[in-house]
Amino acid sequence: MTNLSAVTVEAPRGRAGWRSMLPRWSPKLGVGLGLIGVITFIGVIGPLLVGDPNTIRDLGLTGPGGEFWLGTTQTGQDIVAQLAHATRGSLYIGLLVGVMATALSALFGIVGSYIGGYVDEGFSLFSNVMLVIPGLPLVIVISAFVPADQRGSWTIAVVLAITGWAASARVLRAQTLSLRNRDYVAAAKVSGEKPWRVITVEILPNLLPLLASQFVFSVIYAILSEAGLSFLGLGASNSSTLGTMLYYAQNGFALQRDAWWWFVPPGLIIALFGCGLALVNFSIDEIINPKLRDIPRRDKAEAERAPAPVKRTDDDVVLTVNDLSVVYQVEKPVHAVKDVSLTLRRGEILGLAGESGCGKTTLAYAVNRLHRPPAEVTTGSVTFHDREGGDIDVLALTPGELRAFRWSKLSMVFQGAMNALNPVITIRAQLDDVLTTHRPEMTKAQRKAKCEEVLKLVGVDVRRLSSFPHELSGGMRQRVMIAMALLLDPQVMIMDEPTTALDVVVQRGILREILRLRDEIGFAVLFITHDLPLLLELADRIAVMKEGEVVEYATAQDMFEQPAHPYTRQLLDSFPSLTGERGSFVRSGEEMTPVKRSGEPTSPGGVR
Amino acid sequence: MRYYARKFAFYLVALWAALTLNFFIPRLMPGNPVDILMAKLAQRGGTVDPSARRAYELLLGTNSGESLIQQYFAYLGNMFRGDLGISVSSFPTPVSQIIAEALPWTLMLVGIATFLSFAFGIVLGTFVGWRRGTWLDSLVPATTVLAAVPYFWLALILVAVLSSALGWFPLQGGYDVVLWPGWNAEFIGSAIYYGTLPALTIVISSVGGWLLGMRNMMVSATAEDYVLTAKAKGLRDSRIMIKYAARNAVLPSVAGFAISLGFVVAGSIITEQVFSYPGIGSKLLQAVQNNDYALMQGIFLVITVAVLGANLVVDLLYAVIDPRTRVSG
Amino acid sequence: MTTLEARDLVKDFHVRVGLRRVRLRAVDNVSFTLTPGRTVALVGESGSGKSTIARMIARLEKPSAGAITLTSPDGRRVPDRAYRDNVQMVFQDPFASLNPFHTIEHHLARPLKLHGKPHGWEEVVQLLERVSLPGRDIAGRRPHELSGGQRQRVAIARALAPGAKVVVADEPVSMLDVSIRLGVLNLMARLQREENLAVLYITHDLATARHFSDDILVLYKGRVVERGPADEVILNPQHPYTKILASAAPNPEARGRAVEIDPADVERAGAAAAYDHNTGAWEEVGEVAT
Repeated sequence: MTNLSAVTVEAPRGRAGWRSMLPRWSPKLGVGLGLIGVITFIGVIGPLLVGDPNTIRDLGLTGPGGEFWLGTTQTGQDIVAQLAHATRGSLYIGLLVGVMATALSALFGIVGSYIGGYVDEGFSLFSNVMLVIPGLPLVIVISAFVPADQRGSWTIAVVLAITGWAASARVLRAQTLSLRNRDYVAAAKVSGEKPWRVITVEILPNLLPLLASQFVFSVIYAILSEAGLSFLGLGASNSSTLGTMLYYAQNGFALQRDAWWWFVPPGLIIALFGCGLALVNFSIDEIINPKLRDIPRRDKAEAERAPAPVKRTDDDVVLTVNDLSVVYQVEKPVHAVKDVSLTLRRGEILGLAGESGCGKTTLAYAVNRLHRPPAEVTTGSVTFHDREGGDIDVLALTPGELRAFRWSKLSMVFQGAMNALNPVITIRAQLDDVLTTHRPEMTKAQRKAKCEEVLKLVGVDVRRLSSFPHELSGGMRQRVMIAMALLLDPQVMIMDEPTTALDVVVQRGILREILRLRDEIGFAVLFITHDLPLLLELADRIAVMKEGEVVEYATAQDMFEQPAHPYTRQLLDSFPSLTGERGSFVRSGEEMTPVKRSGEPTSPGGVR
Repeated sequence: MRYYARKFAFYLVALWAALTLNFFIPRLMPGNPVDILMAKLAQRGGTVDPSARRAYELLLGTNSGESLIQQYFAYLGNMFRGDLGISVSSFPTPVSQIIAEALPWTLMLVGIATFLSFAFGIVLGTFVGWRRGTWLDSLVPATTVLAAVPYFWLALILVAVLSSALGWFPLQGGYDVVLWPGWNAEFIGSAIYYGTLPALTIVISSVGGWLLGMRNMMVSATAEDYVLTAKAKGLRDSRIMIKYAARNAVLPSVAGFAISLGFVVAGSIITEQVFSYPGIGSKLLQAVQNNDYALMQGIFLVITVAVLGANLVVDLLYAVIDPRTRVSG
Repeated sequence: MTTLEARDLVKDFHVRVGLRRVRLRAVDNVSFTLTPGRTVALVGESGSGKSTIARMIARLEKPSAGAITLTSPDGRRVPDRAYRDNVQMVFQDPFASLNPFHTIEHHLARPLKLHGKPHGWEEVVQLLERVSLPGRDIAGRRPHELSGGQRQRVAIARALAPGAKVVVADEPVSMLDVSIRLGVLNLMARLQREENLAVLYITHDLATARHFSDDILVLYKGRVVERGPADEVILNPQHPYTKILASAAPNPEARGRAVEIDPADVERAGAAAAYDHNTGAWEEVGEVAT
């Protein structure tokens, strides 16, 4: 019953798999473990050090001081001695219920969802019914029917476990459902593993953090519920817990007699222990959901953005990126973009090609200042040369100016088949709020007309305006994204892998649409993709990026006919031609040596 | 449509399960509750009329040799007629009448307190999650203390400080006893005054849970692509926070309402005891202390039905705020 | 010679729509034979049923109708319990197909053990070296410490561990960075030669299908609409759907072309008839039931 910390922290060292399951050290974890440790110490060792808690002395209710640090009850019993024994009692119940409830929830949550079919549906229905039936009233009723002399700690623990497992089962089920469809589970089955081994060896270890967190949760639930029951006089008979202490305090009119030393300490111990467990749970949650981890903050070194914005040299240029560097300010700063210079001409398609982690997305986001901490622009400038005249130093815009600049001058198309549209509001609302923000003078009718106009431009039925994103196919969603990008007639559009997740035929349709709209409307496009052959066909000029640097920057024609950089040639060779020769793919020959790459860090903030 | 049908069906099953549980618990427990009841009644000089005895037997089990199935259906029949038996502790008042008097108090108290703590928790969680990493966010772990405090203990502390020591609030009760209950301003004012401290207890103890859940979901939601899109669109931060991030982040909190409601209801029952509040929790305790099994079970059923009803309403609300549930297919 | 014959495979999924249960036919009467040393490619877009076929061959799904028969070199049918000694699978996503909790050694030692082979450290290291990985260095590591290409090589080693003669590769390179894709495909080609493996290569990429495989089956709506030797199918497509797929592939030589593809064309192409380059004839199979 002693060490909750053992479950979460003292897992055997030397096996790296376990280490990944351990919470990362943080002040929260330290405080949590400290609280748990101290209170566990009181409960385990305390009773050995104090006298008999039931000894009645003839001094009545006395305040703290002298022989009795925390005073006595109205029958002269030592509060400290009572606390030590009561803490032990409460911890015992908490541990008992924690183990039983976690076992029950694992049975119903994990086993059911692994077997699937009717077993799962039955188990799931059962858990959900148990979840919505209020637990404590049920416990009260059951306890009331059990005669007081038969109400032992175990009875109470069993009843609390039976009424307290359902929420955990639901959480575990959801997680198991997602794990059992993972490829590694399928791979284990293909290897010939037996079902029980798949559950215990392949699935269960990956559920450990979740199980630990549910266990902690059950312990808190049990200690609180038991305290409530005992306070009502329905706890285990002859037991001594923090709840029974409060019961006696209440019945001894401690409150009315201002005997705070009697009723404050027991509640405080419960609260602090629960707080300690909850703090440990914080750290476990961070393992389960890495997004919750604190972003390590470095003191902001003020960026020395030496180069001033570039004056326009030529009316044909719409965007100039000069010597731009972006650094991820983590413990070891990572240069994701190194001194990149690019110019985008009006109406041209500039392709940005490279593999994952080469910095192409970071670059594109930095142009619009969409990069998130810890990414920071350290040097360089981004200058937008407005059609109406005037140059805009994008990196120097105030937040208000930046908002006005975004979308009206430069819009973006993200990988739309993914998650770029808000799932809970209609397409109309998502188009409309661009107009209400940037064109407040437009009337409702004008906005409606504009939304319909752009949808027609990309070939989507205007009735789709009242649809939600999940009601559209991947290709349709991407067309809606493009329509949205067209709303304010921007001069530049940045497209980040706009067709990657789509089937080739749909992809073709979208590309055709982009080319047509570019010809009709005349915006410039910065097109980011890993698919170099696609760019050769589509783009006017291409920049190839590798490890944050532009290694080759040429017209598509030149790059196709005479690629200069070895990396460009290697990339081109990686795509066997459909109708032509086999490229570097030789079925009978030697393997290619994989290219050494270094990646940009995947920041906790989720920068892609 | 299918979503609604499924939800209704589920709550019917849950209701049936609760009724069945209520039927079997006394039969599975040691001892003979009917005899205890009868003895108690006789002690108080109540007359045992055969129909009353019959109602007890259906509720608590009988040894007259009737089959379990017959008892079960007769019991269900009684329940649907709203016949929950006669209370022993306040003989000869029917259980349903006692509940009808106490229920509005609890519904108002718990309903308003739950609504307030949900609203506070969601709003605070939204801000804290959005401004993650600031000083506000570093206060979040402190709220776990509130969540881990036993409701009744917090109630005791509040009474000791705010009522005994400072005298700002009454010590206990649901209204000023010199008043006669009725729908007049004076009485309602008094009820609000008396209800403040119990409500405050519930709000303080439960707001931390909502806050933390919402904060964590906000952190996840702000990392989503649609928030990035909204930023690229040049929308104002307040709009992105509410319409894009919070609008999505609130869904799990609403979906998890059932779990949290269970805790709130449990806490309120005990809290009522501390305040001697004239609600259903105090009645439940009175029933338990007097072995008034009929009243006890009636209250359990009513609480369950109320909780099921609240969850059903929340589930229906969920369908309104998450369009994905409305798909027919 | 171990051969695998899939005959008239059908897979139906049942989905509930409202109160009715609707049958969705994911795979409709697909037949093919995998023989040692040869690669058959199944080409199709998402939803064409190609992954379902892979999962049926790997026995992760049961066919609704049809038969999968494995014949051992002595001409006898391989019994079910020995099926997995012979047929293994490589999954699409190397980031998902290795258990993050376990070491690389676990991933390889388990299949060796399950199929009754020596499964010590040395055997694991040898297996890794066969897929051109530094075995001693890698065996003790965990998946998250490896790159995507390295993981996929481990996954290939796992498939080889039981001594499989038939390997199903479900889009084995589509999740990898372009510059390492061919390395992994070349590795598979080398292993195939060395072990005389029969390979089922599942992909949406016509170009690698053409160069990597001997025969191609084009799948559309769960049906084979065109089949034949790889070069024939790609260079001389007959079925309208194959033609559309071929013309949709990026082609740097055709700069600025505006390929007029309308998704409706694909619908019109239909799946009522299939062309077989081996016989040079069309076969009517009837409209797809909806």
